[in-house]
Amino acid sequence: MKPVRAIALALAALAALALGAFAASHWYAPKQRPQLASGTLLNEPRLVAAFSLTDHDGQPWGNAELDGNWTLLFAGFTHCPDVCPTTLGLMKQLDQRLQTQHTPMNFVFLSVDPERDTPAQLKTYVTHFSPAIRGVSGPRAQLDALCASLGLAYLKIPGASESEYTVDHSAALVLLDRRGRVAGYFQPPHKLDTLASDLAGIVTSGT
Amino acid sequence: MKKLIAIAAVLASTGAAACPELAVENAWIREAPPGAMSAAYGKLVNRGKRTLVVDGARSGDFGGAGLHRTVVDDNGISRMREGRLEIAPGASAMLEPGGWHLMLFDPARLLKAGDTVVLSLTCGKGAREFPFTVKASG
Repeated sequence: MKPVRAIALALAALAALALGAFAASHWYAPKQRPQLASGTLLNEPRLVAAFSLTDHDGQPWGNAELDGNWTLLFAGFTHCPDVCPTTLGLMKQLDQRLQTQHTPMNFVFLSVDPERDTPAQLKTYVTHFSPAIRGVSGPRAQLDALCASLGLAYLKIPGASESEYTVDHSAALVLLDRRGRVAGYFQPPHKLDTLASDLAGIVTSGT
Repeated sequence: MKKLIAIAAVLASTGAAACPELAVENAWIREAPPGAMSAAYGKLVNRGKRTLVVDGARSGDFGGAGLHRTVVDDNGISRMREGRLEIAPGASAMLEPGGWHLMLFDPARLLKAGDTVVLSLTCGKGAREFPFTVKASG
C-alpha cells in the first residue's frame, strides 16, 4: 500500500472512531436527571393501564388525553373544604407561573366521588379556580383501576347521614409524561416556587 | 330583685358565657365555588390566664361549621377529622391550609373576595363572634 493511501485510510479510521465516540456519548449516555428540590422522579416512567372516564364537559377522557403533553394530576372531591381547594389554588398559581416560563403543563382534578361530582358539578368547581384545570371522573370500576395504576388510594368515610360522608384520599400530585406514563410524585406541603422550578426543570430536560 | 335578675341575664348573654380571652388574628375565609364548602383560617390567641378549649364554630352564613384538622399520614393519605384545640394562657394556635381549620358548609349566600363573614367560635358553653374576610382562592 502506498504511504499516502495508508495515511488517508488511517485518518478515515480515526475520523470514524471519533464520530462513533461522539455518537455513543450523545445518544447512548444516560440522560441527565434534573435535581429536584421536592418530589420524586421514578427511575423509569410507569405505564398507565387503559381507562375510560368522562371530563367536566361530558366528553370521554382516557389514555389518549394524556398523550402529547405533561400532566399534573390531583385526586380529591368537591365536598372537601381544605386540602382540595388548597391544591387547586396551587394549580392555578402553577399554571400562571409555568406559562410565563413557556413550560406547557396540563392540570387535572380526578374526583374520587363520582356519586356527588357530576360533570356539571365538577365544571363549576374546577373552573372557579382556573379554566386550565380539567375535572374528570367516571364509573367506580374505572376510577379504581386508574387509581391503582397511578399509585393513588382513597377511602369513603361514613358521616352522620348517607349523604354526609367524607373521603380520605392521596394528597400527592402525580406527574405524567408526554406519553401518559407516571413520571413522578410530589407530596405536600407544596411550595409554589420550588414546585414550579422542579417542573420546569423536568419538562426542559425531557426526562 | 328585678335589677339583679336583669344583671344576671346580661352576664349570661355576654361576658360570663363568652370566651373573652379568645382573639383571632388574620382571620380569613377562602373564596369557594358557588355552593361549595369552604374553610376559615387565622391565628387563635388566648389572652387570658386560663386554658381555653375551642371546640367549634357557627355562622348565620353557613348551614354548619366545625373545627377540623387535615392530617397527611405516612402513606401520603389526607384525612380530615373533627377535633378541639386547647390553647394555654398566652399561647396561640394556627388555623391554616393543610392543618387545623374551621370547616364551613351549606353557604347561605355566594361569598366573594372582600366580603366579611361573622363566625362565632365556641369554647364549651361560651362563644365569641369574630369577623373573617373572604380572600380569593389561589
